[in-house]
Amino acid sequence: MMPGHIVRFAVAIVAFAILARLPVGLDQAFQFDAALALIWGFGILSLVLLTGYAGQVSLCQATFAGVAAYGAGMTVSSMHGGYLLGIVIGVVFATILGVIVGLPALRLHGITLAIVTLGIALVFDRYVFQDHIFDWFTGGTGGWQVTSADLLGIKVDSSQHLLAAYDVLLALFCLVSVLMVNLHQSGAGRRLRAIRDSEVAASTMGVNLTRYKLLAFAMSAGIAGLGGSFYPLIAGSVSPQPFWVFTSLQLAAIGVLMGVRYVPAAALGGLFMAVVPDVLTRYGHGTFMNRFNYDISFDWFQIAVGVLLILQLILLPDGVWGDMRAKLLHARGAAQRKPAREAPA
Amino acid sequence: MSTFLAYTIIGLSLGGIFALAALGIVLIYRVTGVLNFAHGAMGMFSTFVAWQIFYGWPHPGLAPWAVTAEAITVGLLFAMVLGLVLEFAVFRWVRNRPQIVKAVITIGVLLTLQSTASLIWKNNQYHLPIYIAPQDWTRQVAGVPIGANYVVIVAVALGLAFGLAAFLRYTAFGRAMRAVSDNPTSASLWGVRVDTVGAVSWMLGSLIAAVAGILITPFINFDTTSLTLLIVDSLAAALIGGLVSLPLTVLGGFMLGLLETYPTIWIQSLGFPRLIALLVILAVLIVRSPRGLPGVAK
Repeated sequence: MMPGHIVRFAVAIVAFAILARLPVGLDQAFQFDAALALIWGFGILSLVLLTGYAGQVSLCQATFAGVAAYGAGMTVSSMHGGYLLGIVIGVVFATILGVIVGLPALRLHGITLAIVTLGIALVFDRYVFQDHIFDWFTGGTGGWQVTSADLLGIKVDSSQHLLAAYDVLLALFCLVSVLMVNLHQSGAGRRLRAIRDSEVAASTMGVNLTRYKLLAFAMSAGIAGLGGSFYPLIAGSVSPQPFWVFTSLQLAAIGVLMGVRYVPAAALGGLFMAVVPDVLTRYGHGTFMNRFNYDISFDWFQIAVGVLLILQLILLPDGVWGDMRAKLLHARGAAQRKPAREAPA
Repeated sequence: MSTFLAYTIIGLSLGGIFALAALGIVLIYRVTGVLNFAHGAMGMFSTFVAWQIFYGWPHPGLAPWAVTAEAITVGLLFAMVLGLVLEFAVFRWVRNRPQIVKAVITIGVLLTLQSTASLIWKNNQYHLPIYIAPQDWTRQVAGVPIGANYVVIVAVALGLAFGLAAFLRYTAFGRAMRAVSDNPTSASLWGVRVDTVGAVSWMLGSLIAAVAGILITPFINFDTTSLTLLIVDSLAAALIGGLVSLPLTVLGGFMLGLLETYPTIWIQSLGFPRLIALLVILAVLIVRSPRGLPGVAK
């Protein structure tokens, strides 16, 4: 093991230890938010791989999560499999869909790929998740109900044992995050980044475009699916609405907003996406200083996402995390230079 | 046979809407290089402004046709202002950024407009459509009644398409717009005001989107999301025209309208037409050229 690997695993374990304590003692709704934050965190993490590393645009990441959620729900409710099997099947379904979406992406990039993936998100939202032809997969109008499950001996359900689900999700999230950073440093990561910078140059240098583009889509869909497959478990049921086309657009928007090239931005984005709407609907109405009535509804969240995205793309092209990181690195560099009295470069 | 004819009429009017919406997308894309994912949302917002005037405001002593005219006028004026505001507040600042960055910004615009509208007009509420033409007017053609609204849509779509083509071809400003769409730098060297041309194309594009939005209200489940998501069908029509050609775009719009309507004779499904739109998008993108579209820079 390289020293870098050890440091990364140590950081991940410390992060897990701290974050696992965070929602303890909060009420059930906030524990749900914490778990949901990780599910959307996986969604943005998948975008970091696909867009940040490999430079492929996608507006259908919530679709991958949704397919995995329905796959897991179907396995547990209709085939009476264990939840672990449900997660595996969900991830497999999402990965297969990822490869299918990756096929047209072999010939497309940029805005045309954005159009295709938006179309896919809309087809799944309006057709696959809602049409009666697919009732075997979606469980009909009511969706699948999942009351409780056993994950490797850990009892998990959507009411009393939400924290267990959160802990499992968090452990997986930390693990996948470390693997993502390792991927970034590896040979495969360098090839993906070469594709991002220039497909022509990458293929001239001997990068197999077909293999690595499909690999990026498959891994990305698998990561989004890993988060999504936990959704029925923490919500108790699965319905089309959480995975509709606007969630995909929000994932893309928040991913870019937070900094789509950086793994920690995914955690930040997931937290933002899960907690802010709930806080708004809970505390967004009342009276300020006994005089001004205010009523900030859920809709303000998406307005904020849109406006912040526009401002960020004009002012901070590298995203919130990217900008913070650059400032920190700059400050550290300045602090290191000072004692040596070097002229600033 | 009469079923077929009836569906043809529905398909043509739906196609007229797609053609209109796609025209606006192509216009903005060619002149400013922005692929506008918020086009449906812009049309939706202006349509709801017109709807608010039509149903929400008191109209003492006005004839019904005058109320319609007032609502449409205010809606279209609002659309032009919206286009201008977006150009000045957002897109002027990102003129030289990569195409995909500009496209992602339009997603921000889409999300903002969509949730502002759902904040004001509520998302799940049933909205009455705006009728342009009298509801009771029908003509029998080969045993099939044709409502006035269908005729109006097809006429407006074709009229606007030809009008826009004539404007681009025969007026000085239209020539300036074509010059900017070919090459902004050389156009500015020839004294064309690129900023003005960009602002006008945003205004015109937004106006056309609003026309499409107002015309479609009698035919769809009229709420904030369905109009916003019309963007996928409009993009499909625009892609048939290669994002550059106006005549092919209009043709593509009508074709897509028919393609989406005929299967509903056998398949009763709200979502199935979206699948057809996606298949059309894929077919166009994969058949047209190995590296995507000719007009699409990387």
